[in-house]
Amino acid sequence: MEVTLLNLMHGFSVAFQLDNLWYAFLGCLVGTLVGVLPGIGPLSGISILLPVTFGLNATQAVIMLAGIYYGSQYGGSTTSILMRIPGEASSVMTCIDGNAMARKGRAGSALCIAAVGSFIAGTFGVIMLTIVAPPLATIALRFGPPEYTALLILGLVFLAYMSSTSLVRTLLMACVGLMLGMIGIDNMTGHFRYSFDLVELGDGIGIVPVAVGLFGLGEILSTPSHKVTGEVISPKYRELLPNRQEWKESAWPIARGSVLGFIIGIIPGSAHVISSFLSYALERRVSKHPEEFGKGAVAGVAGPESANNAASTGAFVPMLALGIPTGPITAVLIGALMIHGVSVGPQLVNDHPDVFWGFVASMYVGNLMLLLLNLPLVGLFVSVLRIPYAYLYPLIIMFCIIGVYEVNHSVVDVWIMLIMGVVGYALRKFSFDPAPLVLGLVIAPIFEQSLRQSLIMSNGNYLIFFSRPISAALIAICIILLAMSAMTYMLKRKDWRDKLAEAEAGEPSA
Amino acid sequence: MTLRADHVAGSAFVVFGIAIIALSGDLPVGKLSMPGSGFLPIIVAAMTIVFGAALLLRSRESQPFSAIDWSDGKHAAAVTLITAVATGLYIYLGFIVTMAAMMIALLILIERRRPLYAAVYSFAVVLTTFAAFEYLLKTPLPPSPLSN
Repeated sequence: MEVTLLNLMHGFSVAFQLDNLWYAFLGCLVGTLVGVLPGIGPLSGISILLPVTFGLNATQAVIMLAGIYYGSQYGGSTTSILMRIPGEASSVMTCIDGNAMARKGRAGSALCIAAVGSFIAGTFGVIMLTIVAPPLATIALRFGPPEYTALLILGLVFLAYMSSTSLVRTLLMACVGLMLGMIGIDNMTGHFRYSFDLVELGDGIGIVPVAVGLFGLGEILSTPSHKVTGEVISPKYRELLPNRQEWKESAWPIARGSVLGFIIGIIPGSAHVISSFLSYALERRVSKHPEEFGKGAVAGVAGPESANNAASTGAFVPMLALGIPTGPITAVLIGALMIHGVSVGPQLVNDHPDVFWGFVASMYVGNLMLLLLNLPLVGLFVSVLRIPYAYLYPLIIMFCIIGVYEVNHSVVDVWIMLIMGVVGYALRKFSFDPAPLVLGLVIAPIFEQSLRQSLIMSNGNYLIFFSRPISAALIAICIILLAMSAMTYMLKRKDWRDKLAEAEAGEPSA
Repeated sequence: MTLRADHVAGSAFVVFGIAIIALSGDLPVGKLSMPGSGFLPIIVAAMTIVFGAALLLRSRESQPFSAIDWSDGKHAAAVTLITAVATGLYIYLGFIVTMAAMMIALLILIERRRPLYAAVYSFAVVLTTFAAFEYLLKTPLPPSPLSN
């Protein structure tokens, strides 16, 4: 513990350097705007701004990009509360009671509770990250190729299990992602695979064009401007502070949301989305007045908003300790660090202490900045929300093109983004979630390498995955999850995942 | 029989998997003790076919294909077309000309905004972005042919 505190102090000395403070602030501000604007999520925001970080060092880059991620979780609540449109996917649940509070004249209170809840949960998440990540990284140093293979399979199965779409749909998306991830030169044999004589495809398909296409452009294609309503409830500054009763009602939901969110954040998948839904369901279950949910319950804002912020921090644990992305956003962050010559994994804590501890410390500072930023600047965010969507989406398309092109200065990447935009549009029509596709794309190279190395190590014996305790335990968890999913399907039981699907479709079940 | 959404989606994935296997013909699969570059692609393609077939078998649970709402299709097609033209011209005409033209086209042709407002907004946004990237962020964007 003493060593951790000493390292954290070192991290603060890095985070408090003026330029690092500036990039943390910039990331938080941009992240809040990204969260506020409907149609542009943290993934698109991070991808678009990735090229901007090329001139920075690795610490500054990751501080800024992570600021965009957790900043967007703060910003998403503003749009949900004032417009009943989720500015960011994880704010879906906040729409229900947050907007109901706003319609009762309590918009300021809802925004303040969301901001304070986010701050407490975010800070709790960083404390847990500080405690959990370094020992986990030490354990992970014992991992060999079979353990990594099993862990990646578990990640995919967990994502499939947690997904609000069906298991088959999620695994199909993951397969397509894995296929896309195998395009380019095979690292082990040097063979060109599926590159169709295009030199640009030799290095494979990048995460950025695929992610921006599927999530950024795909969203724009399926959202004509006449479908976006522009009604914004404007809160008054003097109404920003909640009353004593509202503080009392929000205390326990914030505490529960923080713990629940962090635990779910560690698990692969769209953790921040799932965590806010589960927190909402939990709060309604433990509430003495469940009938108030949907009509402006304070707990319906405090719980989910705390949970999604804690989850976004929890997602950094496997990323920093194991080098494994829990979703497309952490995948892009890993890619960003790799561009800066920093390989993420168990060795990160020892090899790059400035990056690791500077990043962790900057999150304490970033959360405080966001609290100070969100409430006083609410007027600015309301003005941003008043920009008609018809003027906004051409701007977003322009930033998508800039972001994708600037990574490699390749117009082929922009074409890939465009194709992926159309694919994303089609996937939405057929009720597929594109997130597993991006996760498959990201883990494909690590997965293929560790699987082939495992087989070479064992002379072609698949039992290697069952003969080593850690990989055997991970595979056993996979089998249990698949069996549980099959049982739910066979018994035709409606569980929380079906309810999440309904909530995402805008029809929250009672 | 009613054509359902998952009939179409499942068939598409089965065809995709078969196409991958057909394209993998020249890749060495290797042996289990020394897997080649075609090893995992074949496994993943086979899994895609299996899951695609599972989707086909369970297609009764999905909505009829005719029930899918394509009302935004015209908007999607128009945005895709304009963005595709802009992508094709991006490195030839440079950032300022291409992006301003793309935004003007999106605002006038799709959103039916007044040409003067569309032009002023587009040029203001594009020039500000260019200046921010070029001078503040030191990240050069493709230059305009007029600047040479």
